Amino acid sequence: MAVAEMIKSIAQAPEKEYYLPGHRTCAGCGPALAYRLIAKASGKNTIFIGPTGCMYVANTSYACGPWAVPWTHAQITNGGAVASGIEVAFKQLIKKGKIKDEFPNIIVMAGDGGAIDIGLQAASSMMYRGHDVLFLMYDNESYANTGIQVSPMTPYGATTMFTPSGPEIPEAKKFFPKDPMAIFCSGGHPEVKYGATASISYPVDLMNKVRKGLAVEGPAFLHVQCPCPKGWTYPADRTVELGKLAVETGMWFLYEIEDGVKKWNYMPKKLKPVEEYLQTQGRFSHLQPEHVAKMQAWVNQRTQLLGMEVPLPPAQ
Amino acid sequence: MPIKKRGTGLTAVADAWQLADIDVTASYPIRPYTAVMAEVAKRIANGQMKCEMVHGEGEHAQFSIAHGASMAGARATTGSSGVGVTYAFETYSPIAGGRCPIQALIGDRTLDPPGDFGSEHTDCLTLRDNGWIYGWAENAQEALDNSLLCFRIGEDPEIMLPQIVAMDGYFVTHISQDYVMPDQAQVDKFLPPFKPEFRLDVNKPVIMGPQIEPEMGPPLEWDRNVVMERVKELIPKATAEFNKIFGAKYAPFVDEYMTDDADMVFLLQGAHAVTCRSAIKYLREAGYKVGMCRLRWIRPFPDAALQQILPKFKVVGVIDTNTSYGAAGGGGVLLVETRASVSEVANKPIIQGFTSGLGGETITHEEFFKMADMMKQTLDAGKIIQSSTWVNFNDYDKAAIEVKAAWEQAAPSTK
Amino acid sequence: MPKAYKQVPFAAIVKSPTVNNQGMVTGNWRYLRPVVDKGLCTECKMCWISCPDATVNYSKDDGISFNLEFCKGCGVCSNVCPVGAINRVPELDFED
Ligand SMILES: Cc1ncc(C[n+]2csc(CCOP(=O)(O)OP(=O)(O)O)c2C)c(N)n1
Ligand code: SF4
Ligand code: SF4
Ligand code: SF4
Repeated sequence: MAVAEMIKSIAQAPEKEYYLPGHRTCAGCGPALAYRLIAKASGKNTIFIGPTGCMYVANTSYACGPWAVPWTHAQITNGGAVASGIEVAFKQLIKKGKIKDEFPNIIVMAGDGGAIDIGLQAASSMMYRGHDVLFLMYDNESYANTGIQVSPMTPYGATTMFTPSGPEIPEAKKFFPKDPMAIFCSGGHPEVKYGATASISYPVDLMNKVRKGLAVEGPAFLHVQCPCPKGWTYPADRTVELGKLAVETGMWFLYEIEDGVKKWNYMPKKLKPVEEYLQTQGRFSHLQPEHVAKMQAWVNQRTQLLGMEVPLPPAQ
Repeated sequence: MPIKKRGTGLTAVADAWQLADIDVTASYPIRPYTAVMAEVAKRIANGQMKCEMVHGEGEHAQFSIAHGASMAGARATTGSSGVGVTYAFETYSPIAGGRCPIQALIGDRTLDPPGDFGSEHTDCLTLRDNGWIYGWAENAQEALDNSLLCFRIGEDPEIMLPQIVAMDGYFVTHISQDYVMPDQAQVDKFLPPFKPEFRLDVNKPVIMGPQIEPEMGPPLEWDRNVVMERVKELIPKATAEFNKIFGAKYAPFVDEYMTDDADMVFLLQGAHAVTCRSAIKYLREAGYKVGMCRLRWIRPFPDAALQQILPKFKVVGVIDTNTSYGAAGGGGVLLVETRASVSEVANKPIIQGFTSGLGGETITHEEFFKMADMMKQTLDAGKIIQSSTWVNFNDYDKAAIEVKAAWEQAAPSTK
Repeated sequence: MPKAYKQVPFAAIVKSPTVNNQGMVTGNWRYLRPVVDKGLCTECKMCWISCPDATVNYSKDDGISFNLEFCKGCGVCSNVCPVGAINRVPELDFED
């Protein structure tokens, strides 16, 4: 593909749905909204690969599924590898004249576990080898499908089934999350020409990033934050609101890296205190002021590291 | 025109893959199977083969890549050895259950620990319950032929199952030997192009491998079971057609040698059959009425064929070049499967097990003689003497008994 | 009694749906129903783009409506509406 056709506003977003009503994802599921927007942006000529996770299990529970385009399951471990095989097969079968298909958009829709933990090896190798695939990491910040367990993307201080808070471990999760953009899109995978972060709360931006990722020849990576009412413990109607609040407090950033050049897609005028974000979710309800301060210090440090020049809240 | 060639089991399979016009293959280095990928890479580089080779980051990826390629409609292959085979374990059931007829070449190798390059069948036998079609080739020619036969059987619309062309590491993968590379026209007559009913196609969208309800699982597994039974029916037909087109003489399931008047037979698979045959010549001269049955398939297991064949004999010595620690009868996989195959047959022979050839050792003539001697004792006794014998460890042949007696006499206190 | 197994097609490969996935009807999950006040609605389509279940419908003639066969009642549409035009009304208040 050459130049992606950009969507300018919600009014211009394609009407047609390829991720249809009829799936068992929780009410208000962020990843489900991401799926819908991604499928809208990529359109009919698309094949999805779904490694095991909520976006496999909850979408297909009864030998059926909500996609109007071809979709296949992959193991949680091998989304990148299965996609690699599909990509080379299409290239080769088209080249040999064995099929008449147009080369399709190939998208891996992997959870954080399937992308950056158990699926990391396959994802990294797919990107290293330069397969023309969009590897999309929908980040609900936990191993959600197995009942919410800690993943490398779970924020510091969050409770999960494997990281409860207690007198010995008052802050619950102790580590800060991995940085997938740094891993995939900062030169470590030279074939990756396009990478971006996105959020379900900025739908036009997300859809355009999908199109850009599909337009570049070779691999592209998208890291999409997707609030999960079950895992983050908040009322389902706040999904989009929390995605916005994450950006406003520096718990999420919207930028893209195209041919090595970083561009900010949205920058708040000034960051709100991270406490405003933490307060909204049950998974942070046990945090003490010192933990909140530690989180704020981390946010401030990361903001500076990423080069976002905005006024920061005091870190205490 | 068919071409006379000199090569190994690996170059022979590269020939089969070239003739089958494979579209995708996935590599990762591990001895001894590696050379097939080196060979295919060379042929791709010089334009002899039109195929995409993906360098997987491990065996798990290799099998996953081939799986993806197959879902997209490609004829795809891969391969491995030893710990590489076990590293890919998660992928075997999804590939077979997804009914993707990819082909893997496995040049077998002893599992760690510790590292050992030698041939042993254990690696590849560990995945026998996953629904793949496979058997061991005895030599380069059979490796090539099995590859074509496997594509044909596995890609049959009524079957759609992945296959393994297994062969003994080194003995078949690396010893140079003569074989014939068939003509393209013969192959085209035998093997139709791969055209799966379902593939990933945006004009005919399907959902592959959705989650199911518990009540849907058993019918799906029943189907996988039924289809394996169907493979048993297809093997004789496909083999007969193969023999006709290529002028070969394969028995569908069991290759018999000097069994016509035999009281006792060795039952084994793979390249040790070569030494076994020459040992039998000596044994015949020494008066042992012994023959050999070599299994051409391990999945599906040729139980019906063995029910026909084995009652002709009085003693069967099953040679396992694999370990299955704690298995029923104390031997390996072939012993368990052989005994189970004929358990309900009247006049069934006495079946005893031998474990031999582990770790890449050859099974020498002397070892075949020892086994024949122990089988003869069983024959004379008319009953089992020892269920399973690890050759050179707990033998009860005459020489071993004499040594033991002499040793006991020399050191009576340790009796 | 013979056990009632459910037959699944070859390798569990099923045809993709085109309009909605009838295999998983979710409208019965809902206990709060979204109801739009067309007098307030500016047709900005924020609710439409934000629904995880694709159950907000929009047409030039009829404006915003809901696919109640599948709407889970999560309330995201109501939450994102900039003018508060979507109310969440208990299902028990409706006859259907
Ligand atoms: C090899 C393997 N290990 C463990 C599992 C169990 N498992 C199923 S879904 C899942 C969670 C997936 O987490 P993630 O990729 O983050 O997606 P999410 O469920 O959060 O959407 C796990 C661990 C599995 N399916 N396969
Ligand atoms: S647990 Fe979270 S990610 Fe999974 S379906 Fe529910 S809301 Fe979606
Ligand atoms: S978000 Fe509110 S104003 Fe906008 S279209 Fe929906 S109901 Fe109307
Ligand atoms: S309540 Fe939820 S599911 Fe129903 S229309 Fe609104 S956003 Fe969609």
